[in-house]
Parts: sequence; C-alpha cells; structure tokens
Amino acid sequence: MDIFIQLLINGLLLGGAYIIISLGLTLIFGVVRVVNFAHGEFLMVGMYLVYLIATQFGVHPYLGLIPVAVILFALGALTQKCIIQPLLNADEHIQIFATVGVSTILLNLALVVFGANVLRAPADLGTHAVSVGTFTVVTGQLITFIIAIVLAVLLHVFMHRTYLGRALRAVAQHRYAALLMGVNVNTVYCIAFGLGTAFVGIAAGLLAPQYPVFPTVGTYFVLTAFVIVVLGGMGSLYGAVAGSLIIGVVDTLAGYYIAPDLKEVVYFGIFLLILVLRPNGLFGTSTE
Amino acid sequence: MFPDFRSPKAYVSVILLAVMFIVPVVMGTAFWTNLFVLLFVFAALTTAWNIVGGYAGQLSLGHAVFYGIGGYTATLLTANFGITPWIGMIAGALISGVVAVVISYPTLRLKGPFFALSTIAILEVVRLLVIHEESWTGGSSGISLPLNIGWTWIVFRDKINYVIIAFVIFLLVLWASWFIRKSRTGHYLIAIREREDAARAVGVHTVNMKILAAVVSAMLTSVIGTFHITYLTFVDPGSAFSLELSIQIAMFALIGGLGTVAGPIAGTFLVLPIAELARGWLSALGNGMHGVVYGVILVAVVLTIPRGLAGAFGPMIERMLDRLPYLGTRPVKQAAAPASTEKHVIDRESPVLKAEHLFKNFGGLRATNDVSLTLYRNEILGMIGPNGAGKTTVFNLLSGFLSPDKGTITLLDRNGTWVKCTTPDDLAHKGMGRTFQIARPFTGLTVLENIMLGAFIDTSKRDEAERIALRVAEQTDLVKYLNTEARNLTVGGMKRLEIARALATGPKVLLLDEVMAGLNPTDVEKAIQMIRRIRDSGVSILLIEHMMQATMALSDRIIVINEGAVLVSGLPQEVVENPAVIEAYLGKEYNDA
Repeated sequence: MDIFIQLLINGLLLGGAYIIISLGLTLIFGVVRVVNFAHGEFLMVGMYLVYLIATQFGVHPYLGLIPVAVILFALGALTQKCIIQPLLNADEHIQIFATVGVSTILLNLALVVFGANVLRAPADLGTHAVSVGTFTVVTGQLITFIIAIVLAVLLHVFMHRTYLGRALRAVAQHRYAALLMGVNVNTVYCIAFGLGTAFVGIAAGLLAPQYPVFPTVGTYFVLTAFVIVVLGGMGSLYGAVAGSLIIGVVDTLAGYYIAPDLKEVVYFGIFLLILVLRPNGLFGTSTE
Repeated sequence: MFPDFRSPKAYVSVILLAVMFIVPVVMGTAFWTNLFVLLFVFAALTTAWNIVGGYAGQLSLGHAVFYGIGGYTATLLTANFGITPWIGMIAGALISGVVAVVISYPTLRLKGPFFALSTIAILEVVRLLVIHEESWTGGSSGISLPLNIGWTWIVFRDKINYVIIAFVIFLLVLWASWFIRKSRTGHYLIAIREREDAARAVGVHTVNMKILAAVVSAMLTSVIGTFHITYLTFVDPGSAFSLELSIQIAMFALIGGLGTVAGPIAGTFLVLPIAELARGWLSALGNGMHGVVYGVILVAVVLTIPRGLAGAFGPMIERMLDRLPYLGTRPVKQAAAPASTEKHVIDRESPVLKAEHLFKNFGGLRATNDVSLTLYRNEILGMIGPNGAGKTTVFNLLSGFLSPDKGTITLLDRNGTWVKCTTPDDLAHKGMGRTFQIARPFTGLTVLENIMLGAFIDTSKRDEAERIALRVAEQTDLVKYLNTEARNLTVGGMKRLEIARALATGPKVLLLDEVMAGLNPTDVEKAIQMIRRIRDSGVSILLIEHMMQATMALSDRIIVINEGAVLVSGLPQEVVENPAVIEAYLGKEYNDA
C-alpha cells in the first residue's frame, strides 16, 4: 500500500511539469485553433537557453526561467506573426505543415549548434529528495508542482478577470464576432501564442534540475502533452490540468506495475481510445 | 491500364524517367548510385504516401510504420529462416495491408491534426513494442541482414543492381498512383477529401474507399521498406519506425504538390539532392544542416506556394506540353450519350417515395414531428415552410443523412421493388439523388469531373462516365464551363452543378434543396425550365424552395411544414389561400387584418 501511495505521489508531482507544458499547448489551440506541432521544440529551445544562462552567468535555472520565458514569449509571438498569421484561412494540412516545418528547423538548428550531446544545467536546489514520514519527494518536482498549480490559477484569473483575458476567450469562441466587437484579433493571436510558448519557457527552467537537454528532448515531452491535451479536451484549460495529473499517475503506475519501457504504450493506447471514442476529450466541448 | 503514350504528356514523362535511370548508370560511381537509389526510394515512398495523404487527404505522419514492417518482416525471415527477402517483401506487404485495415478502421473518421496525431501515436506504440520484444526483434540495437550475395538475397557488390531494383519499384508505385488517380477510385477519394457528405450523396461508400486507399498505400510503402532496408543491410527501431522519416515523406509530397501524380516526384528530386549536398558541404557546421534545409524549404513553400510545385508550375508546364505534337492521329472525342428517349407516363396514382410518421429529436428539440408524405411518379412536390420549420431535417431523413427516431421511409428502386435504405450511398445506388442547400462543388476538380463523380455510380469506365456527364451538362447548361475549375463558377453555375452531379447518378427521385436561392431573375427562369425538363425525362422531384413564384409555377402539389409537422398539403392554389399557412408565414394579426 505504501508503495502505491508513493507511486501516486510521484505521479501527481510528475503531472506538475506536464500541466505547464499542456496549458501552453491547449491555450494556443483554444485561441488560435492551430495544433502547434513545434511546441516540444520551443521547450527544447527554452531548455538550451536555461542551460546557457546557468553555465555562462551561474544563474540557477529557477531564476533563469524568467528571462527565458520572456524570450520564448517573443519567439512565439514572432512565429505567430510571420508564419501562422498568413495561414489562418489556409487548409488545416497547410497549418500542420507550417508548424512541422518550424519544428524541423528548430530541432536541426539545435543539432547544428549544440551537437547531439546530452547537456545538464548545473543546479543544486531541486535535485534533493526529502522525506515526509515514510514517503519521499524530490524537491524539484514539488516546487514544479506548486508553481504549476499557481500558474494554472493565475491563468484562470487572467482569462476571467482582465480585459485581455476576456478578449482571448472571445476570440477563442468566435473570431469574427470578436473582431466586430473591436477586439484586435491579430494581436490577441500573437499574445495567445506567445503566452503558450512562455509557458514552456517556464517549464524549461523547472525541468532543468531533473532533466538534461538534447535536441530531441522536446519530442519526448510534447507527445505526452498531446496525449494530455486530447484527453482533457483540446482547448480546455481545466482539462489540461486534469489530464496532466491523470497521465502523470498512469505514467508512474504503468512504469512500476507493467514495465518501465511500456508506460508510453499504455498512455498512447489511452490516447487512441480517447480519440476514437470521445474525440472531444473528457472535459472538452464540441468545437463544431 | 496504361497512359496513351502518343500524347505529349506521356512521352515526355517517359523520356524524363529514362533520363532518371540513365544518369546513375552512366556516372557509375558509388556517390551517384547511392544518390539515385535514395531518390527512387523516397520518390516511391512519397508517391505511395500521396495516395492516402494527397488523394484521400488523410494526413498520415506515421507512415514509417509500414516501411518498418516491410523491413523487419523481410529481415527476420531471412535472418531466422533463410527465406529470400523477395518472399519477405510479399509477406511484409500482406501484414502491412492487414495492419492498415486495423489502424484505419477506427481512425479514419478523425480529421486533420487529430488523424495526424493518431498516426504519430501508432508509430510510437509500434516502435516501443518492437524495442520491448527484444527476444525476437533484437530490441533497440536492431538486427543485421546476413550478407549472402546475389539476386535471391537482394545483396550485391555491383551497386548498379540496386539502382535497377529501386527504379523498377519506383515505376510500379508510380503506375499504381497514376492508375488510381485516373480511375473511379481516385475521383471518389478526392470527392471524399473535398466534401464527404456530397460524396456519399452520389453513392460513394466513404469508409470502404478510405480503407482501400490506406491498404494500397501501406502495401506499397512496405515493399519499398523491404527493399531499402535490405539495401542498408541493417534495421533498428529508431530508423525504421522513425517519426523523422514519416515527416520527411509527407514533406516531399507537400513541397511537390499534394494529390497530384507528378508532384511527389518533383518534390523529392528537387529537395533531396539539395539536402544531401547541404549534408556534404556544410557537414563542418554540424550534423543537422540538411534538416534545417528541409525545414526552411517547407516553411517557405507553405507560405508562398501552398499548393506545391505542381500547383504553382503545373498549369504552365501543361500549356507547354500541349504545344508538342501528338504522335499519330488523335482518337476522336467521345460524343455525349444520347438522352433517354423512353416515353414517360405522368402517373399521379403510383407512388415512388413514401415516408410514414417520421419523428426526429435533437436533444429537447423536436425537429420532425409525425411527418408523412408521398411522392408520385413524375410529380414535382414543393415543400415550403418558414425558416427553421424543419424542411432540411426532413430532407436529411429522406436521403439517409439522418436516421429517424421513429417512422419508415421506403423508395421504389430502379427495378421497381420497394426498398428501405439507411445510408446515403445506398440510397444513391437505389435511385435517389439530392443537392445541398449550400452549393460547394468538389474544388480542385473541373466541372466535367464534378459531374463524372455522379456518373461513376453505374460505370467504372472513365469514357462511359464522361459520356454521361456530357449529356447531363447539356441538360443543365454547363457545356460552356466543362473544363473550368468548379470553384470559379458563378453562384448560379454552382447551383446547376449541384443538380448536374445528382442527375448524373441517374436518379428516379431527386431532392432539390433551395436550388434557386440567391439567383438573379434570369437564372431563376433558366432553373425553372431546367427542372421541368428533368421532370419530363422521367424523374420525380421533391423541392424545398423559398422563391414563392417559382414554387407556385413548378409544383404539382405543395406540402407546408411548420414547427416540424405537416401543416397542410394540396394543390398550389389551395395551399396559398389556406389561412393556417398565411398565419404560419406572416403571423395571426396579418390574417385577421
């Protein structure tokens, strides 16, 4: 029983990092209606930036994530403005290819600049384990989890209490109606995309003490994020939080009770089932 | 079965293909043979992918699954049982075909990004399972092919043999792609991609078609996979079930032009050499240079020529090819099939379509409330009613797009027996045609091809379909526009095209949903004449229409629907003078005044 509870704790804490990454993904999908296949590569870029800041200036990743989030916001907004904006009315497959193209460029640029080496940002805080009773938690995971919950709450407040947040929700619901109400839709899109990528910038800093960085690190996280976002319902913020916790727990339990190398098979299986049986996810509403 | 090699397009293609083959043979060095084997393999992979991704519009980003299955099946059979890879190639193709059915049956109703994500997930699952089953797959370190030299084992010292095999496989895939594109199946796939509901209305069994495309594409991909992996003499899960490879294949097709025969080849032959050169020249800069080149080209193409090389330069090249002479004398163009001269008896006693006590609820809304109606032979029955009265719901029930909660619909089929049908494609085969309120043709096809889609219901022969289409075009005033792309028609033209497509299926019963809405008075007059001509050719017509004059002039009988139920039905004059109808349309006060 103790093992089960320990696994449950590990799973929920693992969900913390997923929450941040999938909130970003689902925000972009919910507002801009584009599935961002480059989301993982933005995370990878963030992790390299965190690494550079940590090694060059000796700044801990937890502090380094602040400038990184700002840079990634700019990068995301720029991507939206230069690449997604012109394609808003294009066919879906064109939009998919556009983000796949961005993903390919970023991934290979990382390979050119940093090579295929596995790099690790130096960090002390966040790598220790602390014991609470019979259970242990890794400080980094705990901090990530707390920040994830805080971010989710902040995002909720932002979406519901500020003009900009309401504008985002209005655009998400109906682009043209929002336009007619005087919302600057293109700016809102840039902000939504930027916020979505800023979230992975934050995640990059929080992940740094536990995970090394290499060019394809994004693929690993983003596939999980896609599973979560589809599970929770594309575009649903609450769904992303719930989905992250579910997948975190499934990941940990499947890794222990089935086989460590088959845990992805388990949640990809869940993913396919959800897509086929309940394509709007657990918490999503129909987008038609 | 084969293109007409006397036409400029075909013989120029043959010359180009010959050049492709001769270059590596003449150059002969390892660099050239390797490059061309790679080019043929990727051109073939891209062409095979295009059958699903281009023609059917199902954007697979996990196609390496089939490449890997082909490779692993052959390698395992050779390594463990000493079976030649040629048999492994066939076995792999069969397994891939089965896997394609299993995968596509549940996923094919997914759209756009969701389908793409599901294919990525399947690829990942297969890759992880292959790694996990280390005992017989060799796990993540992969397995090598035993190096027995000779044609039996597809392992050669003389690399030119690889070029020959790669070229033959490439030709096979190219032929399959060309044949599908020109056949009924190809037209149906494009119809499904453009507009699934309209495809079903002309009798396309969309599920079967999509699965067929998936299976053909998977089997071809598997064959190429077997060859390429025997060429590499080594297979591991990372490179065989690779997301990067899957994306590359799709990328070449998009750059070349999705859904065209030549596009995928053009894309491969343009981009692959550039990337290979980048890999060679810029290797000092690091490993990923060719990937950067791919990404930049992809983004640039998407932003500037989203329809790919074929979309951007295809028309120009076609015009140039048209100036070349035809070898020999051109075969005479088909004449339109003669309109049926059968005399049709106007017979208002014998029914052809009966709907009895139809009910349909959407959640709490009762959209159809006990609707019964009968359509008689050679009758025009007008269905009117205020906006939101539920006319289109009745249409969708009659044509099988919705199934009623209660009630029955029976149709007198072509052979004169009463049948109950549940799906639109089944109904189309039994003799019911319909149009849609919002006229959207199959874009990317010409007007002629749009009409042919309907005509394919009875024949799989292109010539025959073309003859039927020409006759229908005459009936519907579309002869002038036959070779224009359907998206360039006027509203009136698109509405007539909707009718033409339905008419080409040779219906006995035709349902017309607001075919006159938005037309100018001249076009309305034309439409009225046309609908009369159609009726006189032996078709019974049920039409929804808001244009009162037109409905009054055309209809033999009128049925009024209000709040989901039949308000009244009868002769046009009786109906318009009925107080209940006036009240439904204009309100009670107007009636009292």
